[in-house]
Amino acid sequence: MAPLLQAVDLTKRFGGLTAVDSMSLDINVGEVVGLVGDNGAGKSTFIKMIAGVYPPDNGELFFNGHKVAFSGPRAARDMGIETIYQDLALAENLDVGSNIFLGREIKNRYMGGVVHTVNRPKMRDESAKVLARLDIVIPSLTQQIRNLSGGQRQSVAIARTIYWNAKMVIMDEPTAALGVAQQRDLLKLVRTLCDQGVPVIIISHNMQDVFAVADRIVVMRRGKKVGERLSKQVTPDEIVSLMVGAEAVHEMGVIPRALNGAQEAA
Amino acid sequence: MTVESVEKVPPESGAPTAAAKRKRTRAENLVLVRKVWPWLFLILMIIVFSIASQTANNVTFLSFRSVQGILLYATQILLIGLGETFIIVAAGIDLSSGWVLGFSAVIAAQIMEALYAADASPAVTIGLGMIGGTLIAIIPGLLNGVLIARVKVPSFIVTVGMGFVVEGIALVRSGGYPVTHQPPYLGPLGNGSLLYYWPGHGLTFFNMPPTATTEEFQSIIPLMPNVVFVTIIVTLICWFILAKTQFGQHLYAIGGNFEAAVRAGIPVNRVLIKGYALAAVLAGIAGVIWTTRFTSGAYNAGETTTLNAIAAAVIGGASLFGGEGTIVGTIVGALIIGTITYGLVVLGVSPFWQFVAVGVVVIFAVIMDQFGRRLGK
Repeated sequence: MAPLLQAVDLTKRFGGLTAVDSMSLDINVGEVVGLVGDNGAGKSTFIKMIAGVYPPDNGELFFNGHKVAFSGPRAARDMGIETIYQDLALAENLDVGSNIFLGREIKNRYMGGVVHTVNRPKMRDESAKVLARLDIVIPSLTQQIRNLSGGQRQSVAIARTIYWNAKMVIMDEPTAALGVAQQRDLLKLVRTLCDQGVPVIIISHNMQDVFAVADRIVVMRRGKKVGERLSKQVTPDEIVSLMVGAEAVHEMGVIPRALNGAQEAA
Repeated sequence: MTVESVEKVPPESGAPTAAAKRKRTRAENLVLVRKVWPWLFLILMIIVFSIASQTANNVTFLSFRSVQGILLYATQILLIGLGETFIIVAAGIDLSSGWVLGFSAVIAAQIMEALYAADASPAVTIGLGMIGGTLIAIIPGLLNGVLIARVKVPSFIVTVGMGFVVEGIALVRSGGYPVTHQPPYLGPLGNGSLLYYWPGHGLTFFNMPPTATTEEFQSIIPLMPNVVFVTIIVTLICWFILAKTQFGQHLYAIGGNFEAAVRAGIPVNRVLIKGYALAAVLAGIAGVIWTTRFTSGAYNAGETTTLNAIAAAVIGGASLFGGEGTIVGTIVGALIIGTITYGLVVLGVSPFWQFVAVGVVVIFAVIMDQFGRRLGK
C-alpha cells in the first residue's frame, strides 16, 4: 500500500539559514511516527510545511498519492491534515460541543432560513458520539472547557480534528503540560487514533513518550534526517546519540549516564 | 457518554475521574452562585427599601406605580446595556454609546422638528424621525467596528474618541440647546401606555378612555408604558441574538479565545463590526425613545448612561476580559441600578448618592466574580 503522506526532499530556507534540508519522510496508515531532535533541529519547520503554514522552497509533497501544494493551513486541513499545537485553540468559556463545532456550528433554520438557532443539543450528541468512539471520558459535556483537566482539553482538541475527518494528525509536544496519568491517557488516545486508521506524527522531547507510543522514530539534526529506526529495534541511548550527533557522543565518552540524566531533566 | 465507555477506564485512573466529578459539582455550584446572586441582591434591596420607606416615611415602596417607575428608569440603562453586553462578551468595550444616544436624540428631534414645521402628517413626521434617529447611529457604530476589527485600534481608545466626535457633531448641529419644537402628538406617544385600566369600566388600548372626565383620569391606571413595551421587545430580540444565534456564539468564541476563533475560521472582523453596529443601533433606539419621552433632543441625553450600562452588564456577570455575560444578567443589573435610584428618591435621600451606591455594587460584583473564579480552581 502506498504511504498516505510522502514528503520528498523538502527544503526550507530563512534568509541564509537552511532550516530544513532535503528532508524526506513517508507516513503510512496504521503507524505512529515520533519526530525527535534537539531545539532548532528543524522539526517545527518541517511540520509546518506539511501543515501548509510554510510553502517549501524545494521538494514535493504527496498526499493520498496525489501531488499537493498547500496555499495555507486551511488547505491542508481541508485535505485532512490536522495539526494540534500546544495551545490547543479551544475557547475556554464554551462547552465541549461548542468547541468541537467552533466556527462550524450546527444550525436549525426557521422561516426559510431567515432565522436560525444554534442547535446545542445536537452538537452535544455528536460530540458525545465522537468522544465515545475514541474512548474519551469527560464527566460533563455541558461544562466550560476551563473546568476540564489538561488531558481532557487535549482529548477535546483531538476529538475535534477526528470529527472533521482528519486523515492524519500532527501533534506538537502534546504531553508537555500534562501530569503523569494524563500523559498515559493521551498516549492511549494516540494509539486509538492510529488503530482507527488515522496515523499520527508526534513531536516530543520526552524519549519515554516517544518509545511508549511510536512505531517508528525519525531523528532530525540541523535540518536533516539523521536516522530512522523502528522503536522496537532501538534504545533511547542510540536515539539520543543520533540527536546530538555521533561526534559529540564520541567526545563526551560517558554517553549513557550523562544523556539519561539529560532526558530526565527534559 | 455511555456506561460502557466509563467502565473501560482502567482502575488506576479512577482517582482523577473522582476528582473531576468533585470539581464539576463545585464548578456547577459556582456557576449557580454567580448566576443567582444578582437576583438575591435585587430581592434583598427591595426588602430593605420596603422596610426603610415604611418605617421612615410610612410609604409602601413596592407599589404598582413604583415598579413602573423603576422599569421606566431602567429602560435607558438597559437599552445601552444590551449593546454593551454584546461588546463586552467579545472582549471589547463601547464608551461612545451614551454619546451616540444623545446624537441620535438630536438628529431624531431635528428631523421631527423640520417635518412638523413643514406640515408633514404625524405618521410621516414620527416615522421618519424615529427611523432617521435610529439609523444615523449605524455610522459611528460601523466606524467603531472597522477601526477596532480591521485597523486593530483598542476598543477603549476608538470608542472614547468616537464619543467625543458624535458629542461634538450633536453640539454643532443643535448649537448646544435642546431641540424642543416638537409636534404635540409626540409626548403622549413617549409617555403613554399600551393599556389603561379604568376600575369598573374595563381596559382600553393606547389612549385614555374617551368617555372619562378629567377628574376620573386620576383613577385610571396605565398598564405597560409604551417605552417599557418597546424595551421588552428589543430585549427579547437581543436575548435571542446573543443566546441562540451563530453570531452570538461567535461573539462568545471571540471573547473567550480570539486566536482560536480565527483558526476555527470564524470571520472575526465581520462579527466584531456587526457587534459594534448593533450596539450603536441600540443606542440609537434609546436616543429616539429619549426624544419621544422628553419631546426634545439633547446632546447630553446619555451622559451618565454609558457607565451605568457597563455597570449593569458587569453586575449581571459580564467579564471585561470577555467571553462571559448574558442578556438576562444585564436585565438584572439594570433593575438593580433602577431600584437603587428609585429607592433613594422614595427615601428622600439625595439622588446623588445613587452614584456611590452603584459604584459599591459594581465593585462588589467584580469581587464576587473573582471570588468565584478562585473557588473554581
